[in-house]
Order: sequence, then C-alpha cells, then structure tokens
Amino acid sequence: MSSSTTQDDSQPALAWSWHAPEANDLRGASWHAEAVTPRLALELDNLRSHPSVATIGLKTTKVKTTSFWFAPTSGPIVRPAAPAAADKATPPPAEAPPSPKGCTRIRPPGDVIKLADRLFYVLQPPLEAMVAGGALEFPFHPYPYQLEGVAFLYPRYAAVLADEMGLRKTMQAITAIRLLLHAGELRSVLLICPKPLVSNWRREFAQWAPELPLLIIEGEAAKRRWQWGLSDAPIKIANYELLSRDFEALSAGQLEYDLVVLDESQRIKNRANTTAQIVRSIRRRRSWALTGTPVENSAEDLVGIFEFVSPGLLSSAMKPRNMGRLASEFVLRRTKDKVLTDLPPKMFRDAEIELTPEQRETYRLAEEDGVMRLTAMGESATIQHVFELVLRLKQICNFDPASGESSKLERLSADLEEVAASGRKAIVFSQWVDTLQTLSARLARFKPLEYHGQVPQRRRDEILSKFRNEKDRPLLLISYGAGGVGLNLQFSEYVFLFDRWWNPAIEDQAINRAHRIGAAGPVTVTRFLTQNTIEQRIDQILSEKREIFDTIFCDQEPRRELGLTQAEIFGLFKLKCPTGPIKAVA
Amino acid sequence: MSARDSKSLSALGFLTVVESDPHGLFGGFLVLDGGGRPLEFHCTAPVKTNRAQEILFGPTLEPYIYGEQIGQTLAAATKQKPTVICTDLPPVLALREHLEIPVVLIGKGDESEEPGRPRYRVDAAHAKAQRINFELGSHQLAVAEGHEADRRLVSDRLAAFAERLDLLEPFSRIREAIAEAQRSGR
Repeated sequence: MSSSTTQDDSQPALAWSWHAPEANDLRGASWHAEAVTPRLALELDNLRSHPSVATIGLKTTKVKTTSFWFAPTSGPIVRPAAPAAADKATPPPAEAPPSPKGCTRIRPPGDVIKLADRLFYVLQPPLEAMVAGGALEFPFHPYPYQLEGVAFLYPRYAAVLADEMGLRKTMQAITAIRLLLHAGELRSVLLICPKPLVSNWRREFAQWAPELPLLIIEGEAAKRRWQWGLSDAPIKIANYELLSRDFEALSAGQLEYDLVVLDESQRIKNRANTTAQIVRSIRRRRSWALTGTPVENSAEDLVGIFEFVSPGLLSSAMKPRNMGRLASEFVLRRTKDKVLTDLPPKMFRDAEIELTPEQRETYRLAEEDGVMRLTAMGESATIQHVFELVLRLKQICNFDPASGESSKLERLSADLEEVAASGRKAIVFSQWVDTLQTLSARLARFKPLEYHGQVPQRRRDEILSKFRNEKDRPLLLISYGAGGVGLNLQFSEYVFLFDRWWNPAIEDQAINRAHRIGAAGPVTVTRFLTQNTIEQRIDQILSEKREIFDTIFCDQEPRRELGLTQAEIFGLFKLKCPTGPIKAVA
Repeated sequence: MSARDSKSLSALGFLTVVESDPHGLFGGFLVLDGGGRPLEFHCTAPVKTNRAQEILFGPTLEPYIYGEQIGQTLAAATKQKPTVICTDLPPVLALREHLEIPVVLIGKGDESEEPGRPRYRVDAAHAKAQRINFELGSHQLAVAEGHEADRRLVSDRLAAFAERLDLLEPFSRIREAIAEAQRSGR
C-alpha cells in the first residue's frame, strides 16, 4: 500500500490527490496490523497492478469584499468652560443614576435608505461608551431612558421628542446636538423656545455642553439683525416672540441651518398662525420638535407640529389611529411612570368643595341671568358668548365678587398652614392674575411670591431664586400661562390647582414643574373642584380630552368617539345650539 | 481625555467572522479611531467551505479560512492601516503570518469553548492553539506563538483605548452591521 501527495502548480498548496488501494486489497479493518506489514507490499508488487487515482480539487475562489469609508470626526468647538455656570436651578438628581452598564446603540431610522448611511449609525459606539469614555465630559451619568432619547434623536432628520414633562427633554436634545456637533454632522443649529425659557436653555447648555458657544438672539433690532446674519455661530437661541419681528432679518441671509429645534413646539400647533408659518419657512436640513404635550386639544395639534417636522406626512382627515401609526417612526414618547420607577409618587387629591352660601347665591343668579341672555339670543348665540359666561362663573367659584368670600381660599389656607409648618414648599396655579393677586393679599402671612404675566421678565429669576432658597417663603403663586412650562420647581412637594384649565395637558405641565427628576419626595397635587358648578362639568370634558391623547399615543382601543360638538358646549347650560360641529374648544 | 486627545490615537482594527446559515461565513473588519468611532468598514461576501475541505484541512481549516482567506482579504482592503488588529476568534490569529501588523485575540477564558459556534474536527494536538496569553487592564489577550514581540507592541498601542472602552464591544457592532447588510440585500 502506498500513498502520495502531489501539488497542483495552478493551485499551490491546495490541490491534493491521494492514491487509494483497490477495494479488494483492503483486508479487514483499516488499521489492522496486516495492512501495514511488508508482506502486503510484496503482494502488490507481485500483482503488478496500478492503483486507481481519485483527485479531489480544493479550488479557492477570491473572497469578495464590500467597503465603506466614513469621514473622521471633527474636533470639538472649544471654549473655556464656565465652572459656576451649572445653576442651582437645574441640579443633578438627588441621587444620580449609577454608571450605566447597558449598551444604548444608535439605530438607523426607517427613512434612511442607503446602506452606507445605515451602517454609519449601526457602527457608532454605544452612548454609554461616549459618556463613560471621557472623550466628552458629562456632569453625571444620564439615565438609560435619556440615552435612548439621545440615540433616537441622533440619526433623525425629522423627530418629535414628546416625553412627559420632567423627563429632561432639554438635556437629551443638548446631548444629541453636542454629539452631532463633535461628529461634524452639524455646523449650525437654531433653537427656538418661549422667551421665559431662554435662560433655562442657557443654564442647561452650561451644564451639559459647556464647551459649546451659544449666541442668544436678543437686544436692539440692529444687533439682532447682525446676529441673525452670523453664519459661523454653531448654536443660536431665539425666542418665538422675536420671530415675527425679525422675519425680515431671519430670511434676508437665506442661511440654511443644519438643525432647527423647536422647544415647546405646541406653540405651532395652529398651522395658520404667523409664528408657525415663519418657523416652517426657515431653511433647514433637520427638524426636531420638543414637547410634552403633542396633543393638547385635538389630533389637529399633531398635524400642526408635523407640518414643521415632516410636511405632508399627516393630514387633518386622518383618523387618530392612522395618525399614530404614521407618526410612530418620528415620535418618541415616554412617561415617568414607565421610565422613572424610582421617582417619588404623585398623589392626586380632588378637593370637592361646597361654595359658601353667599358664593352659591351669587353663582345661581349669574348662571340664571347668563342662560336667560343666551336663550334670548337664540340662533345668534355663539361659542364666545358661552365662554364668557363660563369664565364669569369660574371666577365666582374662586371668589364671590361682592363679598370676597371663597370656600377654596378657606381650604387652601388651612392646607398651607400645614405645608408651612412642616417646612415644605407649595405652588398654587390659577389662570387669572387677578385671582393670584387676591390670593397674595389674603395669604400675606405666608409671604407669597408671585410669578405671572405682570411680573417683569428681569425679575422672574430672582423670584424663583427666593422661593428656592429662602426658608420663610413657602408659597409661590403662579399662572398657568407664565409658569406652565420649562421651570424646575422640584423642591416643591405640594401643588394646588386653584382653578382648572381647559385642557389636561396644560394642567399636567403645571404639575410637572414639581414632579420631575430631582423631586425629593412625593408630590401631592390638590385639584379644587366646587360641587354642582361649571367646574364639575368642565372636569368631565377634561377626562374626555385625555382619551384623545391615549388614542394617538397608545395602542389601546379608543373607548368612545371623542371631540366636543357644539351641542356639548352649549349643553353645559342645557341650551339648544345652532347646528354644525366645532373642532376645538380651547 | 479630551476629544482631541482621542483623535490623536491611531486607528485600531477589529476583525471577526460570522457564521450565517445558509449563506456561510461573513468576514467583517471595522477600523476605529481612538475615540471608538468608525473610520472604515469592510465585509466579505459569504464564504462556504465544502466537505472535502473540512476533511482534508482538518484542524487547519479555520486558521486558513478565517485568517488567510477572509482576514487577509479584509486587511488588504483598508486605506488606513491599523496599528493593531483585534479579533475575538482564535483562528484569526493565523492572519499574523501574512501581515506586519500585530494581531491580538481579545477574550475571556478559552475561546474554543464558545457555545453555539460550529466546530471542526480538532485532534488533541491542535486543540490548544499555540498562543501567548497576557492581560491588559481587565482584558485577557493573546497573541500567536512565534510573535512574542507583539505582546509589548499590543500593550503599548492598545493601552489608552483599553483603559476607556470595552475591547469586545466593537465586535457586536460588526455583527450588527453584517446583519444590517444582509437585511438590505434581501
């Protein structure tokens, strides 16, 4: 028996052949002793036979490769960090989250088609590595859900971050902007927010991206015109109120921003308003909207926001369920109960209060008189007429205009005694400045602070600072309009809604000033509701509005058809109404 | 370390091979900058071995396919030559015989025990591939025997990266990228 190997010249080291003995030469088992004895070799020689040859080719084919190259990251835009800039108004959580061990990866969005572009995102390092790696400094480790938010924003050209208030959308947006700037993906960002929140954004940038230079658009018209024209400012911050005044300057340079971010983007829910039109006219490559209340009144609100984010994707004619399905690729919505399981609880107390006898009598007369007038108006009665009556009645529920009596005030006063005695802080919301001023006078013993539209902008930070730092100032009286968004009042453990707003989203925003990351303890929310009044009827409307939100942002089946008809509005007073539906009430 | 510092670090290569039924073996090579960001990515079309190769190459098949065939092809495709090539598969160490760049195995414990990975017939003499094991921070590393000098080179060149980042993590990116490429090819 013999064997040999040969080398095929055309396939070096790969093509082997072996010479097999004929089957009948094999005796017994392959490794039987007889098989390797000299006797066998002699026998083969005697037979003078040639063994047959079977050749097994081991061809190799050239391995094909596909290659992708990515631009190296640009250097950081450095400026000296301001160490004291991290204001106390935005403190880190009482207990910063532990260093995350997870792996939060950036996923390519569905609308990124090219493989090279998709791989660019897939191959980015996990966000935890960026945070922990030390390449960029972070004041503390973000929560895992916040990194998810950053990973959501990072690759998107159209995005709505719709986290519930208090989950720090600001920080998530800043971090995503920071990473994109450092990666060279962005060179120019325009951030637009309500005027009172400009200082808040400035503080948050100082804390989360201290190396990034900011340009706040402010001051005289000439200065602003010059600021709008600057093309090398990486981040500009402007307020909504300026846009209509500066429209000419804004559009003069025809600058195209790499990213435009709208904070509190519900401000453009009405597509026809001037601000919305101006915002949509800004040339941009990416469009992000931040809002805790993407739907305040109706699904139409979301259509308005999407006209900025991804024009044409949604339309008013769509059913909420379809709208939710189409928007889902672009919207990230988390709630505190889902992601902050260790956040102190939020407890609601519905304080159902009887009007004082004098209040009740005033209320009865006002309602009867109002309904009589509306009835007499017949077909000419409009929604505005009904609203006027509603507002008048709500004001009586707060205070009797004749006697000044208020059962709500009595209850609030008693509760505040307890709050102040325990050394805690409370915020009281109302929709009327008059009501807040009356409360301020009647609750003077608590040395209340006021924060509303009549308080000059320059004094507002000082007021918040006093409320935060002075132990003998336990009470902040605040209007829904001025204090509903952007403020960090997590050191307050009590929230009182002295009167109710028209829609629950605004109320949620107000409550979440206190119930947010960093909240030291449970937040108790007291909602005043006078019995057998317009307030109780409105409360039912608010419940229904919550259902609209659930239909769009949750998978659950809608429990019933939503939306208020004109008949329902008139029905508040059991009035017969003109025909035809209305789409929104507030 | 600032972003600028991390930029100044040289490029690092990460090479692995993914088995995907019924296609075969996909090689993936990711070149990262010092901050862990991608500079280049190369992947192979699927490579399939046949039964004859399995029998005749025996225990040398994996080093041949992973290191010589796939690894060498991928390394040749790069524009920016990495200072070190990391792998999470022992057979890829064979690539070192064909390159002048250190190749290092990153792992914990005996990689040959990795569950779920198809194994070819390996007799006792070859089961323990000849490697020089050492540690760098919390990472366990190995270089191929015969390249003792690589140990020091690898330690020097990987130290800054290993201090801040998980050296095994980039392999999961490669696997995801290969999966993404497969999805887009359908």
